[in-house]
Amino acid sequence: MSTSEIHDNPARLSPRGIVRMRRRAALHKFTRSFRHSPSGMVGLCLLGVFVVVAVAAPLVFPRSALDVTQAIANPFQPPSWDYPLGTDDSGRSVLALVVWGARISLLVGLAATVLSMVIGTTVGISSGHFRGWTGGALDRVTDWFLVIPYLPLAIVLATVLGRSMLNIIIVIGVTSWPGTARLIRAQTLSVEGRPYLERAKALGAGHYHQMTRHVLPNVTPLVLANTTLAVSISILSETTLSFLGLGDPDNVSWGSILEQGFQAGAISQGAWWYLGAPGVCVVLVVLAFNLIGRAVEGILDPRAAGR
Amino acid sequence: MSSLSVRTRLLAGCSVAALILGAGLAGAGLSGTASAADDPGASSTRSVFTVGMTQDIDSANPFTGIVAVAYEMFQMEYPTLTEYSASDFSIVPGLAESWSEAADKKSWTYKIRAGLTWSDGQPLTAADAAYSFNRVINGQYERTNYGSYVGNITKAVATDATTLVLSVEKPSPIMEKLLVYIIPEHIWKSIDEKAIKSYKNEGTLASPTVGAGPYVMIERRVGQFIRMQANPNFWRGKPAVDEIVFKIYKNQDALGQALKKGEIDFADSLESNVFKSLQNIPGITTVSSTYSGFNELSFNTGAALDDGTPIGDGNPLLKDKALRQALGWAIDRDALVAKVLGGSGSPASTIVPTMYAALHLDPANPVTYDPTKAKSLLDAAGYAVGSDGIRADAKGNRLSFRLLARSDSSGGASTKAAAFIKGYFAAVGVEVTTKVISSDALTEIIGQGNFDIFEWGWVVEPDPNYQLSTFTCANRSYVDGGSTYANLSDSFYCNPAYDALFEQQGVETDVAKRTAMIKQMQQMLYDDAPYILTYYYDNPEAYRSDRFTGFVPQPAPKGSLLFQYGTWSYENLKPVSEVTATPESPGSTNTASAAPDPGTQPESTPSSSWGLIAGIVILALVIIVVVVVLAQRRNRDLDVDDDRE
Repeated sequence: MSTSEIHDNPARLSPRGIVRMRRRAALHKFTRSFRHSPSGMVGLCLLGVFVVVAVAAPLVFPRSALDVTQAIANPFQPPSWDYPLGTDDSGRSVLALVVWGARISLLVGLAATVLSMVIGTTVGISSGHFRGWTGGALDRVTDWFLVIPYLPLAIVLATVLGRSMLNIIIVIGVTSWPGTARLIRAQTLSVEGRPYLERAKALGAGHYHQMTRHVLPNVTPLVLANTTLAVSISILSETTLSFLGLGDPDNVSWGSILEQGFQAGAISQGAWWYLGAPGVCVVLVVLAFNLIGRAVEGILDPRAAGR
Repeated sequence: MSSLSVRTRLLAGCSVAALILGAGLAGAGLSGTASAADDPGASSTRSVFTVGMTQDIDSANPFTGIVAVAYEMFQMEYPTLTEYSASDFSIVPGLAESWSEAADKKSWTYKIRAGLTWSDGQPLTAADAAYSFNRVINGQYERTNYGSYVGNITKAVATDATTLVLSVEKPSPIMEKLLVYIIPEHIWKSIDEKAIKSYKNEGTLASPTVGAGPYVMIERRVGQFIRMQANPNFWRGKPAVDEIVFKIYKNQDALGQALKKGEIDFADSLESNVFKSLQNIPGITTVSSTYSGFNELSFNTGAALDDGTPIGDGNPLLKDKALRQALGWAIDRDALVAKVLGGSGSPASTIVPTMYAALHLDPANPVTYDPTKAKSLLDAAGYAVGSDGIRADAKGNRLSFRLLARSDSSGGASTKAAAFIKGYFAAVGVEVTTKVISSDALTEIIGQGNFDIFEWGWVVEPDPNYQLSTFTCANRSYVDGGSTYANLSDSFYCNPAYDALFEQQGVETDVAKRTAMIKQMQQMLYDDAPYILTYYYDNPEAYRSDRFTGFVPQPAPKGSLLFQYGTWSYENLKPVSEVTATPESPGSTNTASAAPDPGTQPESTPSSSWGLIAGIVILALVIIVVVVVLAQRRNRDLDVDDDRE
């Protein structure tokens, strides 16, 4: 069934079909608006470059480029044609490290954000929907997480769980959700006050139906905009934790490159390329996600766009 | 003039510490200043020598601490009967001015110096020495660190105030070099065997630790600093420097910068790149001193208690000697020295370092870097390469091991070495997953036997008895009161033939015969490979030669300046008198912390590239912060309508 047919035979459509059609149109409108946002497109291109680099890393540099035992160059060699970003303290190409590091940094950043969003949205909607005792309890838990200083909690968790990539994802995920939960709860409260939900209740809709069919679709745009912005925070968190020596020792991420350089005396050696390259990458990726996030936010919430 | 400068530096130290530590320490800092002023004779000449290091002590209790820097504190506080000379490790009198073996070879008599006092003024007699020895002989916990000295001693008796008699079962070659610290009985008798396990032994300014060495501890802040104060009752005379501060730095760059800026006077265990950056700076002298330390890969050769009960979750494949031997051929020790140590060291073979030339064994069958040979040895031992490239034994157990490295090693050397090991082992089809943990946690894990391989090292004493004892069956972990405690053995090597030799060398008084046995034991360990030694490392040190002089290297001429066997440098250290023709603002305590820098530091100008990098880093940080703040403001703006946070 093509789009034109839908338009031709509106009467024959199922309710589900109408919803689908409406969503498709909204998506269309969204893409069109996004394309007209210059900063959003810059961010998207920037991010695209990093994603391509991360995905294509094994094609550009073999995994052996990360193996210290196979590095042949001199340590702390400044940038040259052979080593565009110089070499590290073991003689590995910093470019290879940064390219491979992009994989872990992006992967951890995205996975942790997804985890944090799932937790945050679930808790947010539930606490907004169930007003009484349950909602109150969930709200207190959120408050509790919100007031715990984030970094010490993350460090303690990472230390207890041990240093691995999965653990870093979990640590960032379970420490960064409360902000999202508060946001979603607020939105849920406002949606719940609308008359159609009252109607749904009168028609006998259960909690699950109300939450998934009526509340969730209405908070989704907010969740999406928040996600894009949260990714940058997650990437920064990953970099921070790795820099503090809590990352996965078997995988290279931008944070772990910074840690290594710092430990190996890159500052005393004046090896600016060693610390500069991963640092600039972090800044650019975070910038890209923020540009996209702000553009998305502007489209979904026009009131915010003017600010 | 010099007096002014050192005093200002103390005040500077106090105010900096106060800034860092907040109000709590500010009080201590002030009282420190006050006492300096009260002390007659030192009112304006209180000199402070500050040592920077990257490792904290694990404990100030001489029965608990095992890291090398902790022993530095112990030997500054507590005397030993005899000492190792600075020049060549020969035995010289310590607390005992003379000693002799009884004609029947059943006892040794030590003449303790007369008229000595502890730092608190109580008399120091042979009774204290007897108490210290008996405490180790009769204690289980106390034996952990000093048991290897007293294994042969049945009892210690003070026959009068200056005579100590140690009864021995058998003749022993180590009776002249018993590094058992003599502790004051009047303090330690109130700390029983249970309490001693958690006893901190950290002094305070009001009640310093009681010792008889050149210095006593007056303050310790975990992870920050340790302050030692000169002991006026030290029998060789009160040292010239009034206070020695050991400051702990989190990383090597900070350590190097601290020395350049003059925050510290001595930097120990420098990372090779930082060490190189300190060369050719006026006022700083760098020394890559020979050292008695080695690093190794230790295998869990079958963790068990001292009675043979298996413990832990080590991979049983590592019990196979052939496997461990083969892995020895997979490691390029020269590359490790070049890349991990930056050349400050040499490839290692046996557990007695080359520095002790008379006792070191150069194996006749050296294991070198030959991955092809490693592969063929593994093939021959029955470990065929599987479809995933990882070898496995006939039953399909893969050669996949956990490698533990230390997060607090100097300059990240341990994690770096682990990355190399991972690469070398992967090249011969052995998989390694690295886990990085703190030294404290590692000690705990080793004691429980919950490891496969770890990377660590030892600092070897001039007499190898202690080092050799770490491979005996009796020194495996033990159970006391239901919990398992680590003993000295960290590979759980247990070989009756080795134990027999250990017993024999322990009673052999003929130097040549004993040397032959020690070499045979080294060969045994080399062939059985509970350890694969990686390198012997130098100790790259640097100090402010414009401020302090009088260091005594051990051994002469190129040995360590600090962290020796003995306290020779601390006792002979003197402030350089004309150091400071530097203009300093007298009087103001508040500006004191900043005052020494501009004057004493014309050499900071060459490091303009450092400034550039710092600038870039700061700029990057500012950008990150701005971006984050913007992002968070966005978030807040979004939900401000419905919900106020």
